[in-house]
Amino acid sequence: MDQGLKPIRVWLTPSGPNPWKVVVILEELRLSYEVVSFKFDHVKKKPFTDLNPNGRAPAIEDPNTDLVLWESGAVITYLVQQYDKDKLLTYNTLKEQHLINQWLHFQMSGQGPYWGTAGWFNVLHPEKVPSAIERYNNQVKRVLGVLEGVLADKDWLVDDKMTYADLAFVPWNDRLESVLLCPDEDKFAGFPRVKAWHESMTCRPAWKRAMEKRDKLMDEQGLMWNGMPKGIKNLQEYEAKIAAGEDTTPKDS
Amino acid sequence: MADNKDPSDIHLYTAATPNGIKVSMLLEELGLPYKVTDISFSKNEQKEPWFLEINPNGRIPALTDVFTDGSQIRLFESGAIMQYLVDRYDTEHKVSYPRGSKEYYDVNSWLFWQMGGLGPMQGQANHFFRYAPEKIPYGINRYQNETRRLYSVMESQLAKSKSGYLVGDKLTIADIACWGWVAAYHWAGVDIKEFPHLEAWMEKLLQHPGIEKGRHVPERHTSLDWKNLSQEELDKRAANSWVRTESSKDQEKK
Ligand SMILES: N[C@@H](CCC(=O)N[C@@H](CS)C(=O)NCC(=O)O)C(=O)O
Ligand SMILES: N[C@@H](CCC(=O)N[C@@H](CS)C(=O)NCC(=O)O)C(=O)O
Repeated sequence: MDQGLKPIRVWLTPSGPNPWKVVVILEELRLSYEVVSFKFDHVKKKPFTDLNPNGRAPAIEDPNTDLVLWESGAVITYLVQQYDKDKLLTYNTLKEQHLINQWLHFQMSGQGPYWGTAGWFNVLHPEKVPSAIERYNNQVKRVLGVLEGVLADKDWLVDDKMTYADLAFVPWNDRLESVLLCPDEDKFAGFPRVKAWHESMTCRPAWKRAMEKRDKLMDEQGLMWNGMPKGIKNLQEYEAKIAAGEDTTPKDS
Repeated sequence: MADNKDPSDIHLYTAATPNGIKVSMLLEELGLPYKVTDISFSKNEQKEPWFLEINPNGRIPALTDVFTDGSQIRLFESGAIMQYLVDRYDTEHKVSYPRGSKEYYDVNSWLFWQMGGLGPMQGQANHFFRYAPEKIPYGINRYQNETRRLYSVMESQLAKSKSGYLVGDKLTIADIACWGWVAAYHWAGVDIKEFPHLEAWMEKLLQHPGIEKGRHVPERHTSLDWKNLSQEELDKRAANSWVRTESSKDQEKK
């Protein structure tokens, strides 16, 4: 369906979840794209900050429309409005379009920041702060509970079709076990509808292709599962090296 | 705007918070009639079953309206509510740009930036700085610094903007979404004087009659009244707020 389109350029750091929201939509829509994979060390630096003044991945450049865009929620809304002419991931009707947008905002403000903060206090923060860990783990559970309730008697967030709002939740949910530091099989314990919903999207070829790409790009940069270069023990060490302008590329790769 | 046959019936469920006033400020800017229900956090009304029917997430704001086909639409998430209102009612593009234009997408970037960045990060700064029963310096620093960083992103954008607004040549829902948060800088313990363009923008928005009127819905907006209060005085106010009460309840449950 993208005949004659020039590839859309996606700027990303492979470790973080948010860029993969964009990639999975591109894959589902079968749009042609190319990835500019760069190191986390450079996210707050030029040339990336010329594209995204906020210095966070992802951002896209679309040579077909001469548009530069950042914030994953804004990017996927654009991709669907501009290119999903057959409404594969959206509806024709305005009311449903607004409901999709509502769930996307919920993902952006309710899932992303809470999963991120829980992950921070569980994994990246050097000391264990029980009150903060408890607070953010509870928030994650609360949000999962909201989703479980909404999915109790239906398969998708809006009516009876998978939309880009459903897909937007996948990248963070897919790493929930490393956010909560629990075994993979327990991550959706108590939330069976959320689990079924999530797995019905991760078994799709589009998501699999996106994750194969991710594995390759992680390897290319010598990154471990937690996003840090091999040989670096924790985020403090990583941030110190970045601040000192050191090369963080693993020696053995 | 709504014609005679338009079955609109806008009902806003809100409270005096940065996310709540986004919607009332927008409704006032657009000159739309609407009903207001003030949701009382101290009575936990946002978690009552009738409200969860409108917003299963149990937070304000939420909005109901009669859609063009006569059916009811129920919406939550302030960003999505704002986009709905301009999409349907701002046909003259007073505070929005036409769908599909470059400015339309730029507004979306800033709107999502507020929803996923400024709001949650300044919210965590408030939690650690004002409400948390235990003072965790690391949490306070981390989220105050992130709030400052986000302010500086706005500061640079405003410094290079000819109009003094975030996108294009006029006030948009991107500015409106950020305003209540920036106006609450002092509560989060951040100094606005470090950000002169941002401070000028904050004052400039008050010149819009709808912003001025809408910020006082459902009750008087106090962030700016309190800007000269000391941190100790603000802490006393925080100690009496429903948020602190909720946090200590959590503690007692243990
Ligand atoms: N709300 C943003 C969040 C983007 C974000 O946090 N990106 C991470 C990677 S997943 C990042 O670039 N972090 C860099 C940093 O924290 O300095 C979006 O959804 O695009
Ligand atoms: N992302 C949501 C956030 C809404 C939100 O956090 N609302 C707060 C007030 S600003 C609330 O209702 N808190 C009550 C509670 O959490 O129980 C939005 O922008 O609408």
